[in-house]
Amino acid sequence: MSEGGDSGRPGPSGDHTPRLEQRPLSVLERRLTLADMLDTSTFAELVKSFAELYKLGVKVFDEKGNRLADIKSGNGDFCGYVFSFPEGKRCCTQTVARVKDGPLATTQNARAPAAPQGTKVHGMIAVPCFTGLRYLVLPILWEGDVLGRVVFGPFVPEDLGELPSSLTDLTPGIDLAQAQSYLAKIRRAPESTIVKVLLHFAQLLETLVAAGQKTFLTSQVHIEATLENNRELETQNKRLELMNVQLKDMDRLKSSFLATVSHELRTPLTSIIGYSEMLSEGLVGTLNQEQTDYVRTIMEKGDTLLKLISSILDVTQIEAGKVRLTFEPVNVGDLVSTAVSSIKPQAQKKGLTLDLRLPGRAVEVRADREKLRQVMVNLLSNAVKFTPKGGWVQVLVTEVKFQPELDGEGWQFVVQDSGVGVPTDQLDKIFQSFYQVDNSSTREFGGAGLGLAIVKSYVEGHGGKVRVQSELGQGSRFEVMLPVSPPPPRSVIAPPLSEPPPPPPDRF
Amino acid sequence: MQLNHAQRELTVKVVYYGPGLSGKTTNLQMIHARTGSEGRGKLLTVETHDDRTLFFDLLPVFFHTKGGYTVKVKLFTVPGQVIHNATRRVVLQNADAVAFIADSRRSAGQENNQYWANLQDNMRENGLNAAQVPIVIQFNKRDLPDSKTDAELQETRARGKEPVVGAVAIRGEGVLETLYAVLQLAYRKMDEQAGLSRNIGLTEAEFLKLIFARMDLSGTQVGDWLANGEAPR
Repeated sequence: MSEGGDSGRPGPSGDHTPRLEQRPLSVLERRLTLADMLDTSTFAELVKSFAELYKLGVKVFDEKGNRLADIKSGNGDFCGYVFSFPEGKRCCTQTVARVKDGPLATTQNARAPAAPQGTKVHGMIAVPCFTGLRYLVLPILWEGDVLGRVVFGPFVPEDLGELPSSLTDLTPGIDLAQAQSYLAKIRRAPESTIVKVLLHFAQLLETLVAAGQKTFLTSQVHIEATLENNRELETQNKRLELMNVQLKDMDRLKSSFLATVSHELRTPLTSIIGYSEMLSEGLVGTLNQEQTDYVRTIMEKGDTLLKLISSILDVTQIEAGKVRLTFEPVNVGDLVSTAVSSIKPQAQKKGLTLDLRLPGRAVEVRADREKLRQVMVNLLSNAVKFTPKGGWVQVLVTEVKFQPELDGEGWQFVVQDSGVGVPTDQLDKIFQSFYQVDNSSTREFGGAGLGLAIVKSYVEGHGGKVRVQSELGQGSRFEVMLPVSPPPPRSVIAPPLSEPPPPPPDRF
Repeated sequence: MQLNHAQRELTVKVVYYGPGLSGKTTNLQMIHARTGSEGRGKLLTVETHDDRTLFFDLLPVFFHTKGGYTVKVKLFTVPGQVIHNATRRVVLQNADAVAFIADSRRSAGQENNQYWANLQDNMRENGLNAAQVPIVIQFNKRDLPDSKTDAELQETRARGKEPVVGAVAIRGEGVLETLYAVLQLAYRKMDEQAGLSRNIGLTEAEFLKLIFARMDLSGTQVGDWLANGEAPR
């Protein structure tokens, strides 16, 4: 609730409702003024044409006495002449004040207007002027409030003959013939006629106010509703931002947890593998065939586990932004041959044809040898893993030439296979950490879904790009494009799911 | 409520709330039709081409008290369509009481519930204490097939503290009864907050009598209620 007009003292209020925020009072709770609801310039035009049509002076004031329209008609000379007499001036000023600011009641010289029997006059009053002229004043009522008043006149009542003594007594020496000739310029009519014209004007005004109120309220409420919508969106955005921050925190926690756990897993695993090695090499006594087989299995599985843990550690380090690349001269041919020979045993076990094609000329580049080897091994072991028995894997290294994608000199490392392929709709997801095309618990292929995420990060760390083409059931082709000389190493390389790029700096 | 001692004026705001097409505008049209022109303003309504309320409707009803105060009761409707929630919230600001217009049909139960929840949400958003703003529930469209039975209405009544009024607004049935119920509760709340009877000498009986004095009460229970000072339940 709100209270007002009580000399600023708080009113008797028991309202302790909590306010979420102080919003400005809606237009629906404001008292509207005439100026809110009327288009003042077109309204003034309308009043002018009305005054000209009926040859009558028309004035419209709002409730505070501000003039919204003021059209004079014919009375200028007469009133000016009367005004030139000192007493005339005083009485004229008095009459004008009575008409403009006096009470809208039949007091202080005002009386009820002469209206035809049964006509509702809606609070109209008639105010006689000491000159014998007359004014009619009508309150502008809206929803029970007085919003202002319309003043018609002065006009000459039809029954006015000689100028009254109330004028002649106050203006000694007045030239009556002159005064009469000025008077003739003012509209002469029966009061009841002017009453009808004024009632008609009031109807017109009511229609204008009704239309104006509708337009004003609806446009203002529309603005308020838009602001309200905006406020709601801002609140929602803030909530989303907060959630985003929380999610990022959780993601960091997850990476840090994985890093710690992987590290803690690797330490005992190294001992398991080390002791198994010593056992299999007979350092603590000769083993029989069965024992040797068992110990080799322990070593093999331990090795697989170690690789898995290493890749988790790699990814967590990439995500934590802790990976640094060290560039040195690398002979690509040698590096690819080493990588290929490391996966040869697995390929042979599955009966795959492994075909390596190197360019005629040696490719000498700058790269991080270890990371590049891992890129190759990851792609190759994926190809071997996802190609069924009897299939083929082809490895191709191109010569150094201009690479449009890199906008500079570079080379390509391509691994193609006749494997199971990747569904088209998942091609852009396979580079995400932990993503696997087959995510079911009964999936056919092992692994943690980290190999390609690592490939992408390392390749991009070299300023290169990875591209994949695949057809389900037909095979896949991974192309790695690398520059001959990578850009100066950034202190860290970006995680596989990179942050959105920072907004461009302000233009102005 | 806006109480202006200098202008000796009390403005009361009542909002008709509820799902789209439940009959909020019809309620105001009926009140407008039954009230003499000297006791009310024009019915302002903004509709879309399909006769649905776009922004709001506004019907002002006013009278003068013996103590010389002008009392204006502004009756608003909110737009029922889901997309106009912001407008609903703007219109609902600082409401003194709410008439919740529900569709009696069983099939409308879920929508009634959604808008009831929406009303509570918007009151909270506006800083209105839902427990302190009186609400009257009108079950409109009692004449349609599939409407809830009187016994079911009784169940709804028993589930909460809000008075429940049955209505067929299109025929004017229950419209003035709903208005009576909501104004009675509005008065009691304002009297509690601002001591209307103590401070401006306006009693509940005078408040209700003067509002309904210019309305055609034939065929309604309001005349009896006014005579006996009864409260609908």
